Formats: sequence, C-alpha cells, structure tokens
Amino acid sequence: MMKDILEMAAASAEEAELYRVKSKSSEVIFEANRLKSIDSSFEEGIGLRIIKQGKIGFSSSTDLSQPRPLVKAASDSAQFGQKAHFHLPSADSTSSVECYDDSLISLSLEQMIREGRKAIDLILKEAPSLHCEGEVAKAEAEISILNTNGLSHSYKRTSYTFSLGAFLAEEGNFLGIGEGEASVKYHDWSSSVAHRILEAFRLTRKKGSISPGKHPVIFTSKAVPLLLQSLKQGINGKVLQKKISPLLGKIGKPVVSSFIDVFDDALFPFALATSPIDGEGIPSRRTPIIEEGVLKNFIYDLQTSGLMGTESTSSGARGYSSLPSPATSNFIVKEGKVPLEEMVKDIKEGIIVDQVIGSGQGNVLMGEFSVNLDLAYKIENGKIKGRVKDIMVSGNSYTMLNNVLALGSESRFIGTTRTPPIYFKEISIAG
Amino acid sequence: MKSFLSSCLKRVKADYLEIRYEEVKVVGIHYVGKELEAIGESYEKGGGIRAKSRGGWSFVSFNDLSKLKDYLELATKGAHLIKGEEIKLASLPARNEVISVEVELDPADVSLQEKYLLCNRYNKILLSGKEIQTSALRYADIHTTKYFINSEGTYIEQERIDTVLGMRAIARRGDNIQSAHMGIGGVGGYGLVKEKAEQAEETVKRAQDLLDAEPAKGGKYTIIVDPELSGVFAHEAFGHLSEADFLYEDKRLQKIMALGRVFGPPGLNIIDEPRIKGEGGYYLYDDEGVPSQKTYLIKEGRLSGRLHSRETSAKMGEEITGNARAISYDYPPIVRMSNTYVAAGDKSFEEMIEEVGEGVYVKGFQGGQTNLEMFTFAPEEGYLIKKGRIDKRIRDLNLTGNIFNTLASIKAIGNDLVLFTGPGGCGKGGQSPLPVSTGGPHLEIRDVVVGGK
Repeated sequence: MMKDILEMAAASAEEAELYRVKSKSSEVIFEANRLKSIDSSFEEGIGLRIIKQGKIGFSSSTDLSQPRPLVKAASDSAQFGQKAHFHLPSADSTSSVECYDDSLISLSLEQMIREGRKAIDLILKEAPSLHCEGEVAKAEAEISILNTNGLSHSYKRTSYTFSLGAFLAEEGNFLGIGEGEASVKYHDWSSSVAHRILEAFRLTRKKGSISPGKHPVIFTSKAVPLLLQSLKQGINGKVLQKKISPLLGKIGKPVVSSFIDVFDDALFPFALATSPIDGEGIPSRRTPIIEEGVLKNFIYDLQTSGLMGTESTSSGARGYSSLPSPATSNFIVKEGKVPLEEMVKDIKEGIIVDQVIGSGQGNVLMGEFSVNLDLAYKIENGKIKGRVKDIMVSGNSYTMLNNVLALGSESRFIGTTRTPPIYFKEISIAG
Repeated sequence: MKSFLSSCLKRVKADYLEIRYEEVKVVGIHYVGKELEAIGESYEKGGGIRAKSRGGWSFVSFNDLSKLKDYLELATKGAHLIKGEEIKLASLPARNEVISVEVELDPADVSLQEKYLLCNRYNKILLSGKEIQTSALRYADIHTTKYFINSEGTYIEQERIDTVLGMRAIARRGDNIQSAHMGIGGVGGYGLVKEKAEQAEETVKRAQDLLDAEPAKGGKYTIIVDPELSGVFAHEAFGHLSEADFLYEDKRLQKIMALGRVFGPPGLNIIDEPRIKGEGGYYLYDDEGVPSQKTYLIKEGRLSGRLHSRETSAKMGEEITGNARAISYDYPPIVRMSNTYVAAGDKSFEEMIEEVGEGVYVKGFQGGQTNLEMFTFAPEEGYLIKKGRIDKRIRDLNLTGNIFNTLASIKAIGNDLVLFTGPGGCGKGGQSPLPVSTGGPHLEIRDVVVGGK
C-alpha cells in the first residue's frame, strides 16, 4: 500500500518520501485514590513529502485508503514550498538500538492496575490525608519510512510510563507532589515512586522561610530541565540559521562551567527518544554538544544542514502530520561526583528547587526565567529545614550554568532529559 | 453517518455509551524568517468512544472507522474491569440537532495562492523593521465536522470553521534579543485575518521598542494590567479553580471552595460564556452533548458557580453547565473553560493610572500557569508608573500571586472590556491547546510580586 502511494507521488515529483506511524496504547487511570478509567488508543497516519521542481511539498492524512487527495495536496503545496537544499537519503546501514521490550506486549491491564493500586496504598498507609491520582501506560508504535531513493526502513518501539501525583488541600497551604518514571522497558516502579512521594511529603510537614536576596540553590533532576530549555533552543540548527541563537559563533568556545559535558544521544539504551534512525531515515548517533564547558555542535535536520552547508546530525524530528524539524533526542547531562547530601551539607542558607510553575514563560531564548516555587525546601546550616512557598525565583539559565559549584553523582531521566541534580552558586529570590 | 453510528451503538451493552467522530481539514501556512517552513492542506479523521459501567469509565480512540465494532467491545470490556462506587451522570433530555456552519467568507472558497500571498505580505512587514532579525507567522483555517451519539438517544452534528493567525517579530541588537507577538482569529471565516497589516507593523514596533527596555527589578508592586492580561488573570488566577473536576471528590477542597465565599471586591464579576460568536471558545454543545450556557464564576466578589461535566454535576448536586470539552477525538471530554472574562467596571484607564501614582503597567501576554493556589503570568512588556504617569519601559517580568488573596487586592476595575482569541490556547491534563478566549477591562491590583533580578 505504501509503495503504491509513493509511486503515485513519484509520477509528478523528482523525489518523494512517505512517513507512517501506527501506534496503540493502553492506560489505566486513577483519580481520587481509586481506579477510574481504562483507556486505549489506536492511531494511524501518513505524511507525504515531495521535492517537485526543486521545491518541498507536504501533506498528511489518517485515511490511507484515499491517497489521491494526499498526493494532490502535496503537489499543490510544492508550488509555494521552500527550495529544497538536500536530497532524500538512500538506504544506509543502521546501528542496532534497544528501543523495544517484548515483555511489555504481554503485560496485562490487571497487573498495571495492581501496581498503581499498590503505590497508592503505600502512600495512603502513611499519609491518609493525601489524594492520589496517576496513570500507568504502555504503548507500542511502528514507524515506517520509504523514499524514492531506495530507503525503506521500519522499526518498532515501546514505552512504559508510571506517574503519580499526590495532592493535599489545606486552607492557605496547597501541596502537590508529582513523581514518575518512563522508559522503553517495563519495570515495577510502584514502590520507588511511592517512596519518593512520601519522602517529599515528610519534608513538607515543616515550614521554612527565606529572606529575599541572592542565595545558593540546588536544582533536583526534576527541576534541571527548566534551565536546559534555553540551551536546547540555542543549539538548534534552525534557531542558529535564523541568527537568533545566543550561541551563534560560539563553537569551540566555553559557554558553561568547565566540568559540564552534554550529549544528544539517540542510541542511549532503552530511553524514550532512542531509535535506529531519525524522522528522515538518517542513522541515529551520539552527538557531543558540550565538552568540558566548550560548545561542540549544533543539531541539524537535512534541510537546515543544507541551508547551513553542513551535514544532518540525525536530528530530524517529526510526527506523521508535520515536516521534520531539528530537535534533541535523549539529552544527557553527564553526572558529576558529589552526592546530593554533600551539596546540602555545604549550604549555610539556601534552597532546593524541585517543582516550579511558570516555566517556559518569558524570554526563554535568551535564558531568562522567573518562576514560582511549587515545591521547594529551605536549607539551613547544612540541613533541610522544611518547605518554602509563595516565593518567586529569577535568573538567567546561561549565567547559572556558568556558575555551577557541583554536579550530582546520580542521574535520572526526566522525560527525554537525563541529568543529575545541580548545585549553583546563587539565585535571586523575591519575597 | 447517523444511521451507521446508531446501528453500531445498538449492538453493545453498557450503562452509558457515546461515540464521537470528527472529520478535520486543515490548511496551514508557517513562515520562520524568510523561509516558508510549511504550506498546504492535511486531513484527519478519527473517533473516540466512552463507555461507562456502574463504577468506571473506558475511553478508546481510533482512526480506522471500519473497526468501530471491535473498539466498542474493547471499551465496554474495559469499563467492566472497574468495580467501585457508582458513577452517576446528571440527567439530560435526548436531543437531535444538526448544526451547520455559517461564515461570511469560507476559507475553502479562497485559493491557496491567495492565502499564501496574504501571509507573504504580512511576513514581509514583520521582517521590515530595521532591527528585526527574524519572524514567525502561522496561519491556519480548520474545518471540523463533529458527530456525537450516545446510548440515551442524543445525536448532534456540529460543523465549525476556525481561522487563526499568529505573528511574531524578533528584534536583535548585539546580544539583546526581544520578541513581540500578536494573535488574531477565532471561530469564523477568512475575514478574521484579512487587512491585518497594521497589526503586523505594530508588532514590529513593539519588538524593536523592547530592545530599549530595562530588566525589571523584583519586588512587590501595585500593577495595572491591560485587557489582554486581565483575561489571562481571569483564566489562570481564578478560572481553573472553578473547574469542578479538581474538587468533586475532595471534601476538604469543597469546604475551601464553598459557594458564597468572598474572593474579591463587590464590583468584581468573572464569567464563562461559550455562546459569544466569533470567539475561540465558542460552542453550542459541549463534547458530552450538553447545551452550553453562561456561568457566573464570581458575582459581586463572591464565588457563585463552577464549571461542570455531567459526572461532576451529579456528584456535587449542582446545575449542569456544559463545560466538558476535548481538544480532539483522541481525548475524552474533561471540564474546561470557554470564553472567560472579567466584566467591565466604571473606571477609565487614565483615572486608574493617575490614582495609582507609583507602580507598574503591564501589557500583552507571553504565558501563564497555575497550581490552583499560586499563579504566574508573564506580560510581554511593562512600564513603570511614576507620579501618575507612564514612565520607562521594562522587560523580563513574571508576575505571581496567591489566587485566594490576589482577587481581594483588585482595587479598581476599568470600563473597557476586550476579548482576545488567537492561535494557541489552554492546556490541562495533557490536552493542549484548547481554543479559548479570555478578556477583561484594565485592572488595578495591589501587592503583586514581580520576579526579577
């Protein structure tokens, strides 16, 4: 079927490519401490990209039985499309990656329900006043890519997500703690996720306060991605090409503290963004972004790399309904040597930031951020003193990443970002 | 479609069952800088089934309508796996309605060529400023036909056309990069986005002017918000708190959010009103087939109502409001806002500025978020107010406050209500963006914390 559509498209274009996603997922959903819903999804869609008279055309559809409107829409699109600065890739050897887990396919809904139930019971046993909600989800997707230059590749990937939130509403004191794990592989996360929530809950039972001004701060793994948003935009080849990246002209120069290493790694075993090829069929790779604080690479898809006179870094990300665009895959900040407890011990007066609200607002590109502390703790004389709230912290993520005092010794994946906790010299606190 | 859906529905047994099916055609144009990143038409068809057993739900979404029978079976089986306290739905008379769209200029009657030329012209304006580095422009017209059928005999077919345009200008001076944006459009035809060259020019000017602004100093200020931010305020700083799904199973929260509680001054009214033609949050029936209605969330400063789905309404014994919405067929309906605004008061903007004396005037919207106790929102630009006059321009502000205190700190309400819609929208429970409109008059609010260095 895909071959027929490709042939139909190729009849009036120099090059053509079909990208198809077929996925199914099952999810058990808990609300107000009880099992509430069992959901499934069956998605299928196809994207057609062509190069016609040197220009890019694109269209997408969920209806594979009706290829004619799709081919016509792609052809109409190419009349106005951007000039193509690339050729579609031909067949290439791909490295084998670990992005599929057999045991997930046979995992029963009953077991997913049991594990969700178990985590909630563990939490309620110690903290009966909490209201828990959560999701346990498994998904399987098949991605196929086919083009007129001979590339034909299909692969499957799986994912398993276990996420839980605990909420407590007291007059003048709302508390929400969110924890979760996600991976290609199945694992019973119920106890570890429940224990992390309980640990946070215990720490919030006491209140702390902190005076406005500049104080040292630790961002937990969960909070670090807030500070990486600007860097992820800054290294994007498209942002560079538009000349609005603050990292323009900084290749080979120090951009963050000298002991920081960052990679974009689509080969990382069993991570959420692991795949044998990117959305254009370019074999996946590990791209150094920052080595010892020095900027090494930007990331590119085919068109952007063509415009910039370089090569794709296998970073063409897409769904079936959109053209590829450069994006990070698994974004890895290499861990350091300092355990979290040591960082805490080092601080006389400061805070630990775990959850914020207001992330992504404001001038992210330039690194500016200003967020309210949703879940954060006061440190006093080397000890965690209790929860601080009703506080706004502000800073510039590039400035902060240049003032790192230590990287934590243990990393965690938060979505597709893997990072240790990070200890920074200071952050501005408004009361 | 009706007879096919109803014949499939008849064969299945469940306490309650509904099928939603959607056919969507989108024409999109996307510029980033000089480059036309995407242009053309795409097609999407899909459905979602919700089945309820006595004590649980199951939701199944799909693209392939030919397998509907299998999916219906899966949904009823899923729901039956859940045993628990009985879930009740607010009762509703069965309805049969076919609502077709009426727009003045259907985007389907405008050629791709013409849309391309319009966007190209706007984009050229966006790029025309001396210090403009790049631009971003997104145009979309979306034709949606929604089919809804349930086991209680209701069938509703709704057609809708959305036309939206988002424009952004990005200015650069050395290391200083600033951006300004403008969102236009809503439920309606091509006329919504025509003749907007002036708005493009104004966006360019704002981006360039921001280059001269100084970063804000953190601290507590008396602020005046413009109508655009006033709407975000109604949405973030209060609206989400009035969505019943976050408290209908939590007795403690219900006590905190008791109807009649005083939240703000007597002149304060916050309203959710889906049936305002042309606005992003316009709809006649929600995604449970419930007719939409106007709801006062705050009336004269007191909590006076909240937004409901059939389930939350039944559980809390409150009137059904028709606020169960899904961003598309592949999500179940959840409690959402529509067009939410602060009603106009009696002060003129000039009077407000003069009376404040010292403070900050904030305009435009870059984003907002809430955890249902605290909220943040980021204006696009700000000005210091000194001696009752608008003074220096400032930037990089993010405002925050406690929802429970901040409404009470509203000291003056302007007489100049404006509603805003555009591309983008609201996000909740993984469903984003949902088209909504927000708006209000100028507001004066005391003791707002402004983040800054």
